[in-house]
Amino acid sequence: MISLHQVNKQYETPAGAFAALRNVDVQVRAGEFVGVVGKSGSGKSTLLNLIAGIDRPSSGMITVANTPIHTLPENKLAAWRGRHVGFVFQFFQLLPTLTAIENVMLPMDFCKTFPARERRRRALALLDRVGVGPHADKLPSTLSGGEQQRVAIARALANNPPLVVADEPTGNLDSITARGILDLFRELANQGTTVVIATHESDIVRVSDRKLQISDGVITTDSRA
Amino acid sequence: MTTPWRKAVRDFWHERARTVLVVLAIALGISAFAAVMSSYAILTRELDRGYLATNPASAILRVDSIDDELIAAILKNREVEAAEPRRVVTGQMKSGPMRWRNLMLFVVKDYGDIRVSKLVHEHGAWPPATGEILIERDAFQVADAKIGDTVLVKTANGVERPLVISGSVHDVGQAQARMENIVYGYINLATLAQLGEKPYLDRLNLLVAENKFDEDHIRRVADDVKSLIEARSHNVWRIDVPAPGKHPHSELMGILLLAMSSFGLFVLVLSGILVVNLLTAMMASQVRQIGVMKAVGGTRWQIARIYFSQALFIGIAAVIVSLPLGLLGSRELCRYMAVFLNFDINSFAVPLWVYLLVAVVGIAAPVVAAAYPVWKGSGAPVRVAISDFGLTQTTFGSSGFDRLLARVGGAFRPLVFALRNSFRRRTRLVLTLVTLAAGGLFFLAALNVRASMINTLDRMFATRRFDLSVVLRENYDEDRVQRAISDTPGVRRAEAWLATDASLGRDEFTLIGLRADTQLLAPQITAGRNLLPSDSDAIVINTALAQRFSQMRVGQTVTLRIGSVESNWRVVGVARETFSPAIGYVSLPTLQQQTGPVVNSLRLALNQADEDSIETVKAEVERRLEQNGVRARGGSSKAETRFSYDQHMLMIYVFLIVMSAIVGGVGGLGLMTTMSLNVLERRREMGLLRAIGATPRMVWVLIVAEGVVIGLLSWIVAAVLAWPLSKLVGDMFVGMLFQAGLDFTFEWRGLVLWLLVSVGLSAMASFLPAWRASHATVREALAYE
Repeated sequence: MISLHQVNKQYETPAGAFAALRNVDVQVRAGEFVGVVGKSGSGKSTLLNLIAGIDRPSSGMITVANTPIHTLPENKLAAWRGRHVGFVFQFFQLLPTLTAIENVMLPMDFCKTFPARERRRRALALLDRVGVGPHADKLPSTLSGGEQQRVAIARALANNPPLVVADEPTGNLDSITARGILDLFRELANQGTTVVIATHESDIVRVSDRKLQISDGVITTDSRA
Repeated sequence: MTTPWRKAVRDFWHERARTVLVVLAIALGISAFAAVMSSYAILTRELDRGYLATNPASAILRVDSIDDELIAAILKNREVEAAEPRRVVTGQMKSGPMRWRNLMLFVVKDYGDIRVSKLVHEHGAWPPATGEILIERDAFQVADAKIGDTVLVKTANGVERPLVISGSVHDVGQAQARMENIVYGYINLATLAQLGEKPYLDRLNLLVAENKFDEDHIRRVADDVKSLIEARSHNVWRIDVPAPGKHPHSELMGILLLAMSSFGLFVLVLSGILVVNLLTAMMASQVRQIGVMKAVGGTRWQIARIYFSQALFIGIAAVIVSLPLGLLGSRELCRYMAVFLNFDINSFAVPLWVYLLVAVVGIAAPVVAAAYPVWKGSGAPVRVAISDFGLTQTTFGSSGFDRLLARVGGAFRPLVFALRNSFRRRTRLVLTLVTLAAGGLFFLAALNVRASMINTLDRMFATRRFDLSVVLRENYDEDRVQRAISDTPGVRRAEAWLATDASLGRDEFTLIGLRADTQLLAPQITAGRNLLPSDSDAIVINTALAQRFSQMRVGQTVTLRIGSVESNWRVVGVARETFSPAIGYVSLPTLQQQTGPVVNSLRLALNQADEDSIETVKAEVERRLEQNGVRARGGSSKAETRFSYDQHMLMIYVFLIVMSAIVGGVGGLGLMTTMSLNVLERRREMGLLRAIGATPRMVWVLIVAEGVVIGLLSWIVAAVLAWPLSKLVGDMFVGMLFQAGLDFTFEWRGLVLWLLVSVGLSAMASFLPAWRASHATVREALAYE
């Protein structure tokens, strides 16, 4: 499903070049639930961004769902992302002027993955699946943090992507809500979706199949549950 | 509706206050544009339509006298469609105890059968009976009379007769009476006889049968008619061919409308700048949302479309608001111009192309303005976009200029803070300054052009050292005239001049003979020299004459035809007379060698130049002249002549002031937008200020101070550029309208006035955003993202 080969990522900063990832080699199978664990600044967000096609490697090759994404131009990459990757952010990042269901329909509108008439029904089904169906027509600002993150997950699933990537999805939630969200991801993986989650919570091992420990841009531990 | 569209609509609604500001600003620009374009369509159509409906004369021949037999002979020429004799007599009119007004009497033989230069009957009697007079509708104000009044009328022979004003007519081809300060009256031949004039007609209005708009053809036909008249032992003094098919003022109107439409476009550009500001800010505040949309699969174009559609909304809303406004404005403009040019507008119908043009321009303008910020904003890489820290991130401190600003200290720290703050969003500052400074520039230019025009007129009138000029009916013996007026009480100095027509080739101009030692004319010589007492064949030409004939240059000798005699004259100098018709000045004795020892006009310098004294002296001079058998045709004081000039200029001042008000309005709306963006982006900072102890009042003062700083900066920009720009605008305007240069002068009071206006405007524009920001609670402000 995911294959990283000799991937490096450097950032140019006023203080000089900074290596965020160094010679990373990772293979992830379809349906696998991977937790990426590390301290702030260790490179886990960079790794997720590269896998999701949000950022490009400085060198190396990345293949996701049989597509060598490091070769795609920006606009093709956006369309590819829409269909193949669902991204969940730490701060939910729902569009404030769109209702919950509209946020979920947005990726379908962008990628035209489902017939226009079906989109609303599908979005509602997804919201039901993550447990926020009754809030479909509310604006994000009227929802709690946990509800917003559930809407965000529904949005990530909108185009039925084979891969869901989540960057600290529980970082902004209380522990009980966070537990519920992680269980939701587990459920997704059980149904065949590949899930990659970055977190600094040790709780991840409770639900994940595999844990990648990352430190200073290098994968230090790769352990399976 | 797809979700991207919904987002566009909701975002638009979310920022409705600011959106309304921008829509208003754009609407102001489009309204101005629409008003000018529809006026252009209406006026050009109606002016020429109204004028052509009167069958304007193709040519006007001045003949010694015209009888029916002559007319019949002329009409045998197939190329002549109509030929009608008229007479124009100058005289004076008085209603009640009012002073005498200059009067131009048109004598028409048969009011029932006018075919050329038709008059339109408006009210009262038609045709005028003997002993009655019709007045041009615009001249009633000058005459200070109404239908039914009895007025005293006299021509140059001095016979005063009471005539009844029995009706009004509209004479489309005449210049506005109010502006010329003259009364146009219409009488029949019998009434002319009652006024003691010989009842003959001497002016032939000719209408050609074909090629009515071909000037060469008209001249050819007129020449044929002239030969025919001369073959019948009549004299033809002069042939005038007005620009065919064109109302005498249509060119002037065209120039004014051109100036206005370029101004309309300018305002549109300024309001476009506001869209740039608004969308740049909006794109900046939506960086993270753009990142998220990209992360979920939106392409750059899909995202750009959302924001473009918002620009489209702005354009559509602005067009909807501004079309009715613009049409209303065009009606007012048309009415104003119609009064100014004395013609009627039958239909205010605006052609379809104007609507289409306004809609296209109005909708396209904001979209074009949005192009750069939207395309740039939607191109942010996803990673950068989603990791953006939000609105408060600015890079203040990174440039040398910032560090320089940081060194600008002061005892009152909040003011220093305001000064540095206004420089934080530099592009926005520049764009805001451009709109505000443009308003200031227009305002200053309006005042400067006005002051310069007054200055130019002042200078021109300063060369005229006389208070009163009296035109005699014909040429009279110089000694007799001098004898008549010598020792007139109240007269300081009197000179008798001789004015005559001269022609160079086909073109005619006025030649004035005066003594070289004249003390009543001190021309401003721009090339060569003035006349000297020793000169014989010297001629000094004025600016208009020099411009008309390129061969008239200092040092050249030209052959002029005066009456039937040709003679050579040496051009010795050019006199600057800005708004004057073409005139050449020669020595009176030399001119008299051809005409005999005669004069036909008087220039008088008086001891007292108030209106009453002038009237008294004028009456006394006319009485004394009459005693000596010399008849005056009319007289006008310097003040009256000046009044007429000032009336012509008034329109330009009004136009310039209206322009600056509109540009200033757009600038004010722009500043308001800028301030609300500045405040919005720094909500968190304001919260912080409050958290560390600033009172709401302090925050309020800070923001208003920031607005005032911007206002001051715009004032500096406007003040620096005002001089060159005013000069350019003034020269362009006056050059187009009068083919003359301007004596430029800078109106310093304008700077002070604009300082007050710009500071006031910027304080007002920042008042509302400041009030809102200062009333947000600390928690709200800090939580704002």
